[in-house]
Amino acid sequence: MFNNTLDSYAHYNNLKNINTFFKVIFAITTMLVSLISSSPVVPLLIALVMSFLIVSQAKIPWKFYLKFLALPFFFGLITFIFMAFFFGVGAHILDLGIFNLAVTEDGFNLGLLTFSRILAGFTCMAFLALTIPMTELFSELERLKIPQIVVELAMLMYRYIFIFLDEAINMYHAQETRLGYSSLPKSFKSMGMLGSNLFIRTWIRGEQAHIAMESRCYTGSLKTSKSPESLKNAGKRNLILLVLFELVLLFGVYLTSNFSFF
Amino acid sequence: MNVIETKDVSYKYPDGTPALEKVNFHAPKGKIIALLGPNGAGKSTLFLHFNGILKPSAGTVMVDDEPLDYAKKTLMRVRQKVGIVFQNPDDQLFAPTVGEDVAFGPLNMGLEQDEVEKRVNEALKRVGMEGYGNRPPHHLSGGEKKRVAIAGILAMRPEIMVLDEPTSGLDPKGASQILRILYQLNKEGMSIVISTHDVDLVPLYASSVYIISEGQIIKEGTPQTVFDDEKTVRGANLRLPRIAHLMEILEKEDGLPFDKPYPLTIGEARKELLKHLKY
Repeated sequence: MFNNTLDSYAHYNNLKNINTFFKVIFAITTMLVSLISSSPVVPLLIALVMSFLIVSQAKIPWKFYLKFLALPFFFGLITFIFMAFFFGVGAHILDLGIFNLAVTEDGFNLGLLTFSRILAGFTCMAFLALTIPMTELFSELERLKIPQIVVELAMLMYRYIFIFLDEAINMYHAQETRLGYSSLPKSFKSMGMLGSNLFIRTWIRGEQAHIAMESRCYTGSLKTSKSPESLKNAGKRNLILLVLFELVLLFGVYLTSNFSFF
Repeated sequence: MNVIETKDVSYKYPDGTPALEKVNFHAPKGKIIALLGPNGAGKSTLFLHFNGILKPSAGTVMVDDEPLDYAKKTLMRVRQKVGIVFQNPDDQLFAPTVGEDVAFGPLNMGLEQDEVEKRVNEALKRVGMEGYGNRPPHHLSGGEKKRVAIAGILAMRPEIMVLDEPTSGLDPKGASQILRILYQLNKEGMSIVISTHDVDLVPLYASSVYIISEGQIIKEGTPQTVFDDEKTVRGANLRLPRIAHLMEILEKEDGLPFDKPYPLTIGEARKELLKHLKY
């Protein structure tokens, strides 16, 4: 399953033992740098560096990574095309000759910038998602003072996603066994039944989980014991490298601020 | 002394259907008690009375010879003393990691950080799951999940553990691992109540057996006395242990000289056979 593999890569990748907070800071600052860049050069560079880190350092199989990247890539591409045609005024650089459609300078640059930012932002997110297990992310969220109730809900949801995924797959197979998906109308009907059934199961499961929690003295709030890792454990060398990397990127942003293809 | 005792406990579901009727059950300290019964007989409902999740419509539940008064404080204390391991470990394991789940009970008891950590490690070691603390539960097998669920209860240091069908749905190895853990715990003084319909295993560990059917206790006693009454056993949709069944057939159909009480375990049957077959 897609979710299972994503989750297991997060748990068993090669960068798993690097300080979590360090990875979070690295991904977020890099993303911010890509957002303040006014030319597409730095974001594209960031996308390349992040992909390199994910594939060669974290040892995520590149086939899986490409599949993971495909969706946002095409989304970005479509955005690019639309922006190139429908945004901006100014000199035409390409005339289609029908319906007065033309690519303008403005539109092209804006589209390219958006596309590169989507890629950079997504690769930063992919770095987070593929190298940090959700479970560690929760304690980071707590450190960042995200309200307790939100973190608790996220924790419960994370756990139960996998249980309901399992149940949904089992029900799906059971329906398929009895030819529930043999035609389009039947598929709609079966899918609807699966959905409503899953909703009821969720309800029952929730009640049972609550009883089980009450049996262990649950009083309405989840207490956590984990104290998050200190950033000091990341090592001086890593921290210096991080600062240098971001400075180089910022310098790149400065240098390329007036750069454009047209 | 009884750790848990119910006196004439009756329970009706909110819609009025009776679920339990005048149940008298007691679990003496340091013993393993088996509660046998078909599906829907009221086993799980009875268990939920032991720690005050359900309140009987009539009758009293006693824990450590004190009647439950269902005040918040008492309930907290009782739930620490009476640990329930639920049938489906997925209902019980809710936390994103094994370690956090085991820590849930001790943290709710308001224990210190160090103590919680100590208990979590100890409990995981107890069930042979040390080193799994950071794993998410969905990466575990059924047997492993069950053992983590037991660790979650052990970490609260209960006086009695109540397990709802602890071996159902497990492969033979997983099931025997669970039973070995329970056996070991019992040897160290833990009182245990197990609900099951695996009649073959009951004579191996239980010191007394209750049969519950349609919300009523219809038979109680040592495994030997309970399984001697094969009519009641079969009437409750259960069966004799395979060994006893074989002995029964050998006696009744083939006229071999095996007499009641039939041996219930392989060990007993072996002794009995050797006695008759010495040549």
